Formats: sequence, structure tokens, C-alpha cells
Amino acid sequence: MAISIQVTDNAAEKRWDISLAGEVDIATAPSVRERLSAALAEKKQNILIDLTDLDYIDSTGLGVIISVYGGIRADGLSVKLKNPKAGVRKLLSISGFDKSLL
Amino acid sequence: MTDILNMTVPGKPEYVATVRMTAAALAMNAGFDIEAIEDIKVAISEACTNIILHGDEPGTSEELHLEKTKYEVRFEIDGDELSIYVEDHGVGYDPGRYTDPVPGEIKSGGLGIFIVKTLMDEVDIRSQIGAGTYICMKKYRRPASAAV
Repeated sequence: MAISIQVTDNAAEKRWDISLAGEVDIATAPSVRERLSAALAEKKQNILIDLTDLDYIDSTGLGVIISVYGGIRADGLSVKLKNPKAGVRKLLSISGFDKSLL
Repeated sequence: MTDILNMTVPGKPEYVATVRMTAAALAMNAGFDIEAIEDIKVAISEACTNIILHGDEPGTSEELHLEKTKYEVRFEIDGDELSIYVEDHGVGYDPGRYTDPVPGEIKSGGLGIFIVKTLMDEVDIRSQIGAGTYICMKKYRRPASAAV
């Protein structure tokens, strides 16, 4: 299954607006990590990830997001997620990451 | 009568989606509701992913990695019950040393098994160092009136 990643520099809000569509698992998580890392290497700022079109994520994908968050929170920056589908929200809740990411 | 489906899967990331979609199709045919199908998809993916990530020692050659991380998946559909068995012959681990992660803690290690245990109705994990790991997970179909 494929993943589509859109990365936009939202200059007005001083953050990266990321849109994920498709599925994030062990096969596709590396490209998500790569794109997020490249964005942060270009400019360190907050990240907002729109999950409206994300159909599936598992611990591999959550691991990427948590690792990116762990890498920037010391700088006072954050990663936030919006509009997760029911299955994605359930996984965020089980892992306890909903409190810090939603 | 129990319907049985067996797969032998190369330990490559791209085949995890194949196993996941097979599990989803079987669960859908068996009448599981959407939430249960999502649970099954995530649980089977976590089990397969664990093998690929932890089935061999770091630094193993690619050829040996594929041999060590090859795994078998067996689906059994019996009435309201879907049983999934996942078995590998990799390095194994000591289940006694596994601890559930602290919810919300900013680290991802150990999360996969915790998710499997949370999403499935019954989970049995047996592992032996040097011999591999066997996971049996079961999901029971809820009566139609209980489905949301």
C-alpha cells in the first residue's frame, strides 16, 4: 500500500503543515521519517499533521511521529495531529500518545 | 467445520500489507464488524513487523536475515472465532523480560506487543531464545445486536 505525503511551509503560522494519505506501516514509515526530517533540517518549526485521509497506522508509524516529536520538544516545539479516523484515534488512545499529540 | 488458510511470508516490509489485507478480507467474510476488522489488521501487522525488526541479530547478512525472518501465518475461522497463528524461527526473546510500555511515554519500543494484547480477545505468546517466537491471537465476533 502506498503513502502520499504533502509538506507545506505555512509561513503565516510558522509551522510545517503535513498531510498524510494512505497507510503508514513498516514499508512506508521510512519515507514519512525522511520527509519530516528533511523539513526540520530545512527549518525547525512546529509540525501539524493532517490525518484526514490516513486510513491506517501502526506502531511503526507512531514511532516515527513520536521520535520526531522527541527530537524537537527540547526546543519548545511540538508535533500536533488533527482529524484522525476512528481506527487511528483508537491506536493513539491505546498508546497514550493522544494526550500529547491531539 | 474450521476453515484454514496458511501463508509462508518472506520477512520483507512490503509483504506485511499483503498479510494485513488477507486478514481483513477473511474477517470481513466471516462477518466481523468494521472496528473488529481494524483491530485485527493492526494486530497482525504488529506481529509481522516484530519479526522483521527483531527476528535476527543486528548486522546479519541480507540472505540470513531473510531466512531468519521468514514466517508462517495460519488463519482459522470457526464459527464466531478467528484465530491467527504467527510463527517465526528467528532469534526469539525472553518473554519474562518484556514489560508493557508506560502509556504516553515518549518512546516507541515494546509498543507492538502491547497493542496486540489490547486489540485482540486472547493472545498467547511463546518464545525461546534461538528458536523463534509463536503468537496465537483470537478475536470473537460480537452478536449483530451488539455491533455498533
